[in-house]
Amino acid sequence: MKVKIAHLYYDLLNLYGEHANITALVNAFNKKDIKTEVDLLTVDDKKDLDKYDFIYIGSGSKENLIIALNDLIKEKEPIKKIIKNNTYLLSTGNSRILFGKYFELNKEKIEALNIFDYYSEESNQIVGESLMNLKEVGNIIGFQNRGTIIKQKDNHLFKVIKGHGNNINSTNEGYRENNFISTYLLGPILIRNPHLTEMIVNDIIKSNE
Amino acid sequence: MKVRFLIILNKLITNVLKLMGKNASVFPASIILPFDKNILEKVKYPSVVIGITGSSGKGSSTKILANILKQNGKKVVWNKSGSNVKNAITTLILNNTSIISKKIKGDILLLELDEAYLSKTFKKGMLTHLVVTNITRDQPPRNYTPENILNKIINSVDERTHIIINSDDVLVNRFTLKHSGKITTFGLDKSKYSIDKQSYKSLDGAYCPVCSKKLIYSYYYYGHLGSYQCNNCNYKRCIDVLGTNIDLDKKEIKINNKKVKIPGNVIFDAYNTLSAYTAALVLGLNDEEIVIDYKESQEKSLKLDNRDVYLVESKNENNISHLLGLHTINSYKETKTLILGFDHVSKRHVHNDLSWLYDIDYTELDMESIDKIFIVGKFRFDLKNCLLNNNINYNKIILVDDESNLTNLIKENSSGAIFVTVCENMIEMTYSLTKFFNNIRKGDNNES
Repeated sequence: MKVKIAHLYYDLLNLYGEHANITALVNAFNKKDIKTEVDLLTVDDKKDLDKYDFIYIGSGSKENLIIALNDLIKEKEPIKKIIKNNTYLLSTGNSRILFGKYFELNKEKIEALNIFDYYSEESNQIVGESLMNLKEVGNIIGFQNRGTIIKQKDNHLFKVIKGHGNNINSTNEGYRENNFISTYLLGPILIRNPHLTEMIVNDIIKSNE
Repeated sequence: MKVRFLIILNKLITNVLKLMGKNASVFPASIILPFDKNILEKVKYPSVVIGITGSSGKGSSTKILANILKQNGKKVVWNKSGSNVKNAITTLILNNTSIISKKIKGDILLLELDEAYLSKTFKKGMLTHLVVTNITRDQPPRNYTPENILNKIINSVDERTHIIINSDDVLVNRFTLKHSGKITTFGLDKSKYSIDKQSYKSLDGAYCPVCSKKLIYSYYYYGHLGSYQCNNCNYKRCIDVLGTNIDLDKKEIKINNKKVKIPGNVIFDAYNTLSAYTAALVLGLNDEEIVIDYKESQEKSLKLDNRDVYLVESKNENNISHLLGLHTINSYKETKTLILGFDHVSKRHVHNDLSWLYDIDYTELDMESIDKIFIVGKFRFDLKNCLLNNNINYNKIILVDDESNLTNLIKENSSGAIFVTVCENMIEMTYSLTKFFNNIRKGDNNES
């Protein structure tokens, strides 16, 4: 068995040491004697997203988000398909705003991928440590540093124990549909939360059996 | 009348604080500014008001330029204390302003300026010149993204300010697209210290600011600094003043075909010297008049028993700074031991974001010549985790839970020269190392 991993827009959306999430995953598979293959994908690359077991996309500056979005829009249908097929797609930090209906950027409304029903608005800076709860694995630690809020009705990923939710005072954070997981927690969350990594690794192994 | 009163008050508070043995570089303006937040607009400036800003190198560049100008008989008012926020700048200016004429008592006002608060310190048009050294990832909870800081700097000046920029920095070079006033650029030529391929994974400004296609580099110095161009629209760096013949071992470079000394043996030293030299040229000095001389440090070398101890200064929340620290360590080929760690993430804010650690390529420490890596401080578990994630040999890592025993641990468990990474403001940021350094400096290497 060889697990195929894609790091989407590795050269654009990498603001908070996020490539470490890929290393964490590779190391976790290697400990189980499972080989991995990592593809670094970016603008204009042929994506073939349905061949991967795990796809990762991280945070970026405003201008890099737009460059990525203009390319990612071509992958809208493949992304919908892989979500339906239960492929893992992890989106951390502000990359999650790309998957909603629209987001604000410098007070301008930008059409996003419109795969999910949520949308994002600009806000004052929201910064600080967070403690969340994911029902399958327990508590999750992380850090947020963002200038947007997300308005969403359902499919919440985490319960907020400490820190901020999708909206500043909301008690829920993140979005989950099948194995599409998105959270405002930024940076190396798979390093900081090995139990979350273990859950993902075990799920991927199971789905390949 | 009110301005004169505030100048007197500022001088009075400064002198009282100095008599009390306190730091007087920042506090006086915190009393003055509530009386008149626009007081900096009400004093009379010399014909040259030059600021130096950027993520790193601004303090060193300011010091080099101040020395060049003073050697040419200029009276320079400058913030040699390194305090660079508005309160410090206000205190400095008012202390150097005549009570009667309200004129700053110098030919040139030279200021190292905080990159995030430039517009809050000076209104547009007040700076005649601005040097921008570089913009890299730095203090994300405070600064957000490098682009955010760059835009703040760009928006704090207008066409009245002559911009002097490091065009090797692909982000800083965006001034050439957005600034309508005069621009002078500097950069470094390819050398044996530049690299053709960048292993650093998180480059900023990787795409062309004109057409959004990926930029191609012919060489890099560090991070996103190097020589780049867009093969789609031909956007590229254009250099007015080029540093050539870089020789870090001899601590010299050539500028305008003239040998120039640099203060140390890392590439930052070449950039800082080049930025000051370029600014001096812009201010009207010629190559003969620009003399750069550094006194070799007279500080006694540090030893633990017979082992050399080297300090490698790195700035927290700035991955590039740490990465260059690792390069310095790697340039020493003999057996060595490292001490890593810190007790505070930042001296400017309370957040404990450690994601920047994962932008540092610690695989560089995966080398035979490193005997042991001691990790100290409050964040030692995170740092250990980070090293392990970079596949550093588990058996080489020693977590130091009792820092008072660090000296003995090192003596008993390691060999070779000792490299200690320290943050700026060492004692405040890394108090775990205080006793270790006290022991070494006293020459008393036994803990009791």
